[in-house]
Amino acid sequence: MKRHYRKKTFHVMLLLLLAFTTVLSACSGAGGTAGKPGEGGKVEIQLWSSATAENAKPIENAIAKFNESQDDIVVKTLSNQDHQKQLTAISGGSAPDIIVTQWNNIGPWSAAGAVQSLEEFIKRDGYDTSQIIPAALDRMKVNHEIFGLPISMSMANKLFYNKQAFEEAGLTAPPETLEELFAYAKKLTKKDAKGNITQMGFIPDYPWIDNVFWPIIFNGSWDDGSGKLTANQEANVKAIDYQMNYYREFGQESIDKFKSGMGGLETPQDPILTGKLSMIIGWENWYVEHRGEDKEVGVAPFPYPAANPELKGSGMVSPIAMFIPSKAKHQDEAWKVMQYLLGEDVQIEYSIEFGSIPVLTKALDNPKLTENQEVKELWDYYESAKNPNLKGFPNSIYINEYLQTLNEETEKALKGQITAQEAMDNVVNKMQPIADKK
Amino acid sequence: MERLEPRSGMRSRERKRLFIGLLFLSPWIFGFLVFQLYPIITSLYYSFTEYNLFTSPQWVGLDNYADMAQDGKMLSSLYNTAFMALFGFFPQLAYALGIALLLNQSVKGLSLYRTIYFLPTLVPAVAGSLLWIWLLNAQYGLVNQMLGAIGLPEPNWLMDENWTKPSLILMGFWGTGTITIMYLAALQEVPRMYYEAASIDGANKWHKFWHITLPAISPMTFFQLIMGLIGSFQYFSQGYVFAESSNQAIGGPGNSILFYAIYLFQNAFMFLKMGYASAMAWILFVIVLLLTLLIFKTSSRWVFYGGEK
Repeated sequence: MKRHYRKKTFHVMLLLLLAFTTVLSACSGAGGTAGKPGEGGKVEIQLWSSATAENAKPIENAIAKFNESQDDIVVKTLSNQDHQKQLTAISGGSAPDIIVTQWNNIGPWSAAGAVQSLEEFIKRDGYDTSQIIPAALDRMKVNHEIFGLPISMSMANKLFYNKQAFEEAGLTAPPETLEELFAYAKKLTKKDAKGNITQMGFIPDYPWIDNVFWPIIFNGSWDDGSGKLTANQEANVKAIDYQMNYYREFGQESIDKFKSGMGGLETPQDPILTGKLSMIIGWENWYVEHRGEDKEVGVAPFPYPAANPELKGSGMVSPIAMFIPSKAKHQDEAWKVMQYLLGEDVQIEYSIEFGSIPVLTKALDNPKLTENQEVKELWDYYESAKNPNLKGFPNSIYINEYLQTLNEETEKALKGQITAQEAMDNVVNKMQPIADKK
Repeated sequence: MERLEPRSGMRSRERKRLFIGLLFLSPWIFGFLVFQLYPIITSLYYSFTEYNLFTSPQWVGLDNYADMAQDGKMLSSLYNTAFMALFGFFPQLAYALGIALLLNQSVKGLSLYRTIYFLPTLVPAVAGSLLWIWLLNAQYGLVNQMLGAIGLPEPNWLMDENWTKPSLILMGFWGTGTITIMYLAALQEVPRMYYEAASIDGANKWHKFWHITLPAISPMTFFQLIMGLIGSFQYFSQGYVFAESSNQAIGGPGNSILFYAIYLFQNAFMFLKMGYASAMAWILFVIVLLLTLLIFKTSSRWVFYGGEK
C-alpha cells in the first residue's frame, strides 16, 4: 500500500515536471525564429526592431513592400524589441535574422562576436558602400570593419532659436560664430530683482550633457584610429572649456535652479516655445511643427569657432543601425533585405515617414525630397547632410563606458570642480587601459 | 491541534503528508531550483571570470574582487547606499513608529487618518517618484514654495549633488505606510494590563513607552530592521527614475544617487561586464548577510517575545 502510494506520487511528480518543461520549451520557442520554409516554399525570416507603436510603422511598411516585391523571402517584423530583449536573443540561441537598433549597440555586440561582419557580403556582391553618407557608415565600423548598415540617421548641426526673443532683444540675425553665440546668450538672459534668472539665452548642456556634439564642433576626436584615445587633445578640451564659459558667466547655482524650473522638451511648457530659453542645439526631428517661415522657431547653421571657419557646417550624426546576428540562420536572405532597405526609393519613403534623414547621398538631391512640400522643414537638413564636417562618436566594445566616463568628467568640469584639461585627462587615464585590453 | 510525538523517525502517515506537501510545493521548488538557485550558483562562477554574455567566460580568479577595491565608483555607490540606510531607513523607521503611536490613540476619525497615512504606499515607486520630482522642483515645487514662505533656503533638490539623497529620503518618509500599519498591529497586541500595572506604580508616559511599549513591539522592530536593511541595499527604482526623468545620466548629478544596485545594473547591462557585476552581487550578498547576522546576534539583548521568561 505504502509503496504503491509512493510510486503514484513519483508519477505525479514526473508528470508535473514534464508539464513544466513543455511550458518552458514553448516559451523559448515563441521567441525563436528559425526561418522555416513558409507558404509556397518561401523562406521566412525575422526582423526585430526596437521601435515602438507609431515609430514602428515605417519599417513595417517598408518590409510589407519588400514582401510584395519578390517571391523568395517573407520577412516577419517584430517591433518593440528593446535593447534587453535584443541582447537576450542574440546571446541565447534564438536570434532573429536582422536587428534594427541604436548604432552604439553594434560596438559592444560585435566585439563580443554576436554581430556578423558584412565585409564578406560586401566583397562578394561588390556592394558600393560609398553611396552611404560617410558619417553614418562610420558608425557601423568597429576597428575599420563594417558590422552593420545604417537605415536612417538623425543629425544635430543647427541652432534653433525663438524668433520673438530675438526680436525683443533687437537681434536681427542668428549668431554665426561661437563667440557671437556667447554674446547673444548674454543679451538674451534676464534676471529678476532677487537675481534669479528668468530667461536664458543658451545652455550648452541642455537638454543633456553632450559629449559628442561639442567636441565635433571644435574638430575634436576620441581615438586616432589605432587604439590611442585622444579625448584629452586640445580641441576636445576647448569644447569643454567653451561650455564652462556659460557657467562662469551666469553661475552654476543660478543656471541649475533655472534649469530645474524649465518644462520638458516639446511639452506645452517647452522652454524654447515659451521663450524661457532662446536657443538650443537643433536636431532634425525637434520642433518640426514649429519651424519655418511663419512659425515661432527659427533655424540657422550651428555656429563655428571664429578662428576656424573651415569647420562651418560641423555637426553630429546618430544613425539607426541594422545588423545580422552571427547566430542568424538566414544570413543571405537578411543581407538581401538590408540591400533592399537601402534602395533609393525605399530610403526616401522611409525617411519621409520616419521624419529622419536618408543615409544615401544621392537621395539627398532627389526631387521627391527636395521638392516635397510635406518635408520642407527638412530641406536644409538634406542639403547640410552632404557636409564633410559631419561626424560621430567612434564605435567600440567599450563605447558605453567611454561615453559614461566622458559624461561624468564633463559634469565635474561644468560644475567647476576640475578644469577641462583635468577632466579629459581623467577620461583618458581611466579608459586607455580598458581600450588596450580589448 | 494535535500534539507532536517525540521525534523517532517518521511514521508512514507523516511521510504521506510530507509527500503531499512537497507535491503542492513542487511548482515553487522547481521554479526556485531553475530560476533562482541555478542563476545564483552560476553567478558565483561568473564572478571569477570575465564574461560579456556572448563569448565564453574567461577565468580571471580574484581579479574582479581586486578591481572592486580600486573602483572609485563602486566605493561611492556603496557610500551612497549606506547613506540611504543610515540616514534614510532608520529615521523612517522611527517616524513610522511615531505615526503608529499617534494612530493608536482613540480620537475621532481615526480610520480616516489611518487610511490617509497608508494611502501613499499604494502608489507605485515609479509614479511616486515622478510626482515627487514635481514637488521638489527647485523653482516651482511645492516644497520650495513652502520653505520660501517661511524664509528658509530653497535647495535645488534634484540637481545639487548634496541634496539628491536627502530628496530621496524625504520621499521615502511618504512611503512608510506599510511599516506604520505593521507597527500599529504590534501596538494593539500589547496587553493593557501592563500599562495598568505601571500606572499603579506611578510610571509616566515616557516610562510606559520605554519600558513597556518598546520591548513589547521589539519583535516587530527586529523584523522591520532586517527587511528594511535588505531593502535599503537593493535600492534601485526611485534613484533610477530620478536620474532618468531629469535627463541626467544614470547615477544623477555627480553620481550622487549612483546606488549599489544601479551601478551593478550599469556594469551588467550597459557595459556588459557580467563577471564584474556578478562579483558585485556577491559582495552585496555578503554585506547583507553580515548585517543580518549582526542584528540576529544582538537580538537576544533587545528583542523580547511575549510569554518568555
